[in-house]
Amino acid sequence: MYSRRAIVAYVLAVVSVIGLTLIQLPLRDLFTIANVTMVFLLLVVIMAVTRGTGPAFVTAFASFVSINYFFVQPLHTLLVADPREVLDLIVFLVVAAIAGRLGARARQQARTAQQRAHEQSILYALTRALNQLTSETEIYATLTRLMCDDLGAVKADLLPFTTEAAADDLTTHYLLLQTSEHVYGTLRVAFRSSLEEPRLDLLNTCAVQAAMALQRIELAERARKSQQFEEADRLKTALLHAVSHDLRTPITIIKTSASNLRQFGDTLPATERVEIAETIESEADQLDRLVGNLLDMSRLKAGALRLSTGLNSLEEVAGDVAARAWQLHKQERVKIVFPDDMPLVNFDYGLLLQALTNLVDNSIRYEPPESAVEIRGEVAGKEILLKVVNHGETISPEMKVQIMEPFYRGREGRIGLGLPIAQGIIEAHHGKLRIEDTPGGGATFVIVLPAQEKKYLETQDSGG
Amino acid sequence: MKLKILVVDDEPQIRKQLKIGLNGHGYEVITASNGLDAITLAAQQAPGIIILDISLGSEPDGIEVCKRLREWSNTPIIMLSVHDEEKTKVTALAVGADDYLTKPFGMEELNARILAILRRTSGEPSAAQKSELRVGDLHIDLAKRIVHVEGEQVHLTPKEYELLRLLATHPGKVMTHRAILGAVWGPEYGDMDHYVRVFVNQLRKKLRENPARNVRYILNEPGVGYRFVAIE
Repeated sequence: MYSRRAIVAYVLAVVSVIGLTLIQLPLRDLFTIANVTMVFLLLVVIMAVTRGTGPAFVTAFASFVSINYFFVQPLHTLLVADPREVLDLIVFLVVAAIAGRLGARARQQARTAQQRAHEQSILYALTRALNQLTSETEIYATLTRLMCDDLGAVKADLLPFTTEAAADDLTTHYLLLQTSEHVYGTLRVAFRSSLEEPRLDLLNTCAVQAAMALQRIELAERARKSQQFEEADRLKTALLHAVSHDLRTPITIIKTSASNLRQFGDTLPATERVEIAETIESEADQLDRLVGNLLDMSRLKAGALRLSTGLNSLEEVAGDVAARAWQLHKQERVKIVFPDDMPLVNFDYGLLLQALTNLVDNSIRYEPPESAVEIRGEVAGKEILLKVVNHGETISPEMKVQIMEPFYRGREGRIGLGLPIAQGIIEAHHGKLRIEDTPGGGATFVIVLPAQEKKYLETQDSGG
Repeated sequence: MKLKILVVDDEPQIRKQLKIGLNGHGYEVITASNGLDAITLAAQQAPGIIILDISLGSEPDGIEVCKRLREWSNTPIIMLSVHDEEKTKVTALAVGADDYLTKPFGMEELNARILAILRRTSGEPSAAQKSELRVGDLHIDLAKRIVHVEGEQVHLTPKEYELLRLLATHPGKVMTHRAILGAVWGPEYGDMDHYVRVFVNQLRKKLRENPARNVRYILNEPGVGYRFVAIE
């Protein structure tokens, strides 16, 4: 079956011969046979270069017939009177055939070169596009777009196919998107006509490029995941370590205390029994705090901390922390200093209480016995500051970084979760935690929280 | 006659220890391990107080049991909860619980809550009916509407006085932000929790609270509301 273009070429061949004949007819008395054949030969070469071998042969044969019929004596017959002219005609036919063949080959080569260049540019564009993509869907979209826009496909879709089987008048190709270790998918491409070998190769090359891009994304994703796992693994190891060391201590104390009570409860003096029971209670509290901190830590690390914020009073939080410090130490280890016009701030009460408790607990540990840790509230422009001021030793800059690391062990060998948890909670509130030097020695933790807009804070004591 | 207490918890060891502790404080204790048994026991035995765990590990859970009990019973209910359950605590109070306690807790704490409830519900004159209240250095003359701290008279605005009177006449009882707003400002102030915070703050300053020395009259119930200290 011939394509429309081929039919047009053949028709053009015949028509051009007829045209050339009509032009030369009035001049046939002036021209020699050699002139006429040269002009027709030129037409054959032109047809060969522009339309290919077939049309060139048709032109040659039609020219041969035309010359014989219209220009060679006797006119209007296919007979040839002069035997020399027979030779002319035969030579013409042979030369025309050879010229047609050569011209057509030159044309074919030019076309192939052009096509190669086009294919190269398509491939280059595809590779460049694929290298910049970071998701599978983008790659599939780019590939199908390329098939339709640049390679002349009518339709291109991915397995599982959304439309029914391709219509009968289309040629369908199935391209496997695969690398040596994995098949990523199948692309179905439909064309109006069947493809030549080089086009098919190009199609397959595109598929390979796409598969390689998919593999690159898969590998990058795998690397990212494994890094995450590694991070989680490190935390888990540290957590397990902490669990075995720091949780076992209170458990051991509780267990020995309880077994002492069981065995010797009857013989021990009442005061000692009470003391043992008190130890059990306080160690249970310690255990409760540790478990709470570990839970908070893992929630912070997993990004699973949910805030339930509301307009709250920092002074209330400070009050709760101070009251707890009194209950723990039975003396005034904390002093609260707040201005009268301290505004309310948007925060999660329970979490900020946890953060401030951790900071104050830590500060009290390093506070000289004759002084007290200060909890100060301050307003600094659009920021609300909550300071925990300690008067012990000044911390070196390196230490300021170290103590914020999870599981850092201080000089008492305690598990270091309090400060990083405080920091995590404050950052979850879009705040910052800074460590500054207390003038005259000591460390000051500064919680910086964004202030609320004034309109939310107006309250009127209407009764007067 | 001993007061009968119903303890509802799915954990046998907690039931056992609560029973020992409450017996020690002089109460009679009956126990249930799930919600359905709890409702049956509450109907048959008519306990004076019910201690109900919020998460029973089976249906119906503590909140649902509380809801069903409230359909026919006024028995005081103390709910047991764990940390991070502020919303559940508010829900528990909303469906009719009288108080809640966060695990882990000490027996003294539980007994204090029981005593506070008994004082509020017993026949003897409640705080609301007394004409004056005294807690530490704080003295409130409810008849004359005069407040003294450390012997000095303190000037309170009408709203501040209303707030103090509401809290102080319900000693030991947790009052939700909403309940306080409704009683002092009016129901239309429904979700203006921060009004309460600002006024409690002012009130505390005037009452010369000092948490660092454990001088406190109004205690915070994070995410829930406030509780006036129990008056012995």
